[in-house]
Amino acid sequence: MALTQHEFAFVSGLVRREAAIVLESGKEYLVEARLLPLARRTGTVSVSEFVARAQRERVLADQIVDALTTNETSWLRDREPFTAFTDSVVPDLAERRGPQHKLRIWSAACSSGQEPYSLAMLLEESVRAGKYEIIATDISTEMIERAKAGRYSQLEVNRGLPVPMLVRYFDRVGTEWQVAEALRRNISFQKVNLAAPLPQMAPFDVVFLRNVLIYFDLETKRSVLRRIRSLMRPDGWLFLGAAETTIGIDDGFERVVAGRASAYRPRAATTAPVGATRKG
Amino acid sequence: MSAPTTDDLHAITEQVWLSYLDPEGVNPFLPSPDAPPSPHVIAAVSVTGAWEGHVVMTFSERAAELSSAALLGMGDDEVTPDDIADAVGELVNVIGGNVKSLLPDGSLLSLPHVVTGESAGNTRWPAAVEVCRLQGSWQDEKIAISVWTSKSAGEGA
Amino acid sequence: MIIVPTAMIIDDSRAMRLILRRIVTQLGFEVHEAGNGKEALDLLETVDPMPQVALIDWNMPVMNGLEFVTAVRSQERYRQMTLMMVTTESEHGQIVRALAAGAHEYVIKPFTPEAIAEKLALLGLVPSGIV
Ligand SMILES: C[S@@+](CC[C@H](N)C(=O)[O-])C[C@H]1O[C@@H](n2cnc3c(N)ncnc32)[C@H](O)[C@@H]1O
Repeated sequence: MALTQHEFAFVSGLVRREAAIVLESGKEYLVEARLLPLARRTGTVSVSEFVARAQRERVLADQIVDALTTNETSWLRDREPFTAFTDSVVPDLAERRGPQHKLRIWSAACSSGQEPYSLAMLLEESVRAGKYEIIATDISTEMIERAKAGRYSQLEVNRGLPVPMLVRYFDRVGTEWQVAEALRRNISFQKVNLAAPLPQMAPFDVVFLRNVLIYFDLETKRSVLRRIRSLMRPDGWLFLGAAETTIGIDDGFERVVAGRASAYRPRAATTAPVGATRKG
Repeated sequence: MSAPTTDDLHAITEQVWLSYLDPEGVNPFLPSPDAPPSPHVIAAVSVTGAWEGHVVMTFSERAAELSSAALLGMGDDEVTPDDIADAVGELVNVIGGNVKSLLPDGSLLSLPHVVTGESAGNTRWPAAVEVCRLQGSWQDEKIAISVWTSKSAGEGA
Repeated sequence: MIIVPTAMIIDDSRAMRLILRRIVTQLGFEVHEAGNGKEALDLLETVDPMPQVALIDWNMPVMNGLEFVTAVRSQERYRQMTLMMVTTESEHGQIVRALAAGAHEYVIKPFTPEAIAEKLALLGLVPSGIV
């Protein structure tokens, strides 16, 4: 049973309004595959009927937004940004801010939490152990709850988590693994829609905004980057996903090379980069 | 340590399916209360040591074919009886291994054992009681997974 | 000359060897297979070049994975080989035992192809671009 054009238009309009995510036509199959489990759970006979009910019931509409945001993530995803974080960024900021400064880090689309916990593990093993705070945010209530709980399935801990870290920071609970309290206590979780005005927050030293801009159109990308820049320290660091860039979108950022990764810094700050060279 | 539950079996099964039988996550194992008819293929591993019992999977003939083909990456008309024995044996081995991790330390897993055809329906687990069971269907074919403990060693586990 | 990396898959289940072979072949490895630790040690004597990595099940007849890791770690000539357990053994204590014996990484069954690729990338055995 295929979705009608009308139903698809409702769904794509909804996720565009709520999450600024663009679903082009041709993605009908994706919508159906993602909504089928929801329809089954609610006891509706078909995806069409589920979509019809969602037009009247707010909770179901929220479920659609949750189901259509891609939550794919892994530990230390793509490695290089995390290596750059430990090898270039942490020493650079230690030098600029002095040893007692508490690093402020934002994981801005944290999905189920692998990104902020990865950062916390790296920090715990660095000179900054205990001297940092991480704010982890996402638009999805379900993801924020999962991230906060810090419980991961076997499949999830298999994804890129070095086994010495598994052994050090996780305990087995039934069929799952629980993140250690030592990591959780430096992270706070909050629901934030990046495509809307951001809540009041103190400026950040480092922002991880990875693998989320790709879902937005150009205008949204631009306004998201601008809002984030206004919440960054002038000599702060921004990390994007491998397929993302600020170039041609927001020239308030400058790309720098950090180890084998690219990072972005507010433009005025790059006059005397420590441990980084300019590129692009 | 508490005994494994149907929820545990469900969590484990979901992960095995996502890993080997339903990588896209579009064709999950669907639990249902209806008891499956007499099975055609049975795969089992035994646990010995600190805890004694069995982890058992039962399949309809078609379910065994479909899951073996998916696991081995073959067409479902290509699988031989040997392929089926290897594949369902490995499925119960992985599920059994994960069940074992819920049991007291010092439990050991046997090699898998597979029975096919008429005799499958008559397989019994003497002196063992069922601890939990997950039954349902995959691609409209019946599959059940159950955990049994030997009465004598079951206490204190 | 292009050097093709090789992997040795050690598992008593033919189905599991097939699954792993498919994954590491796609990542560009040549594959050797062994059905238990003893067979793998014998095979290591004959293959050249030595595999970069061994993917090792734990519970196998004749010689199990932990015994294999211990045997390999006691021999200087296998120093360069990376050892990755791929097993259903997932108790905290078991993982620690395998690491203490000399295993470098650990994947718990069931696993997805991405998990194997990401762990091999972690070990520097495949470029992270492939993952
Ligand atoms: C693919 S995940 C990326 C997770 C992680 N940053 C990484 O790189 O692995 C994308 C995340 O962005 C979130 N997201 C989508 N639209 C958003 C929005 N408008 N505001 C905040 N988060 C959003 C989704 O809920 C999802 O968890």
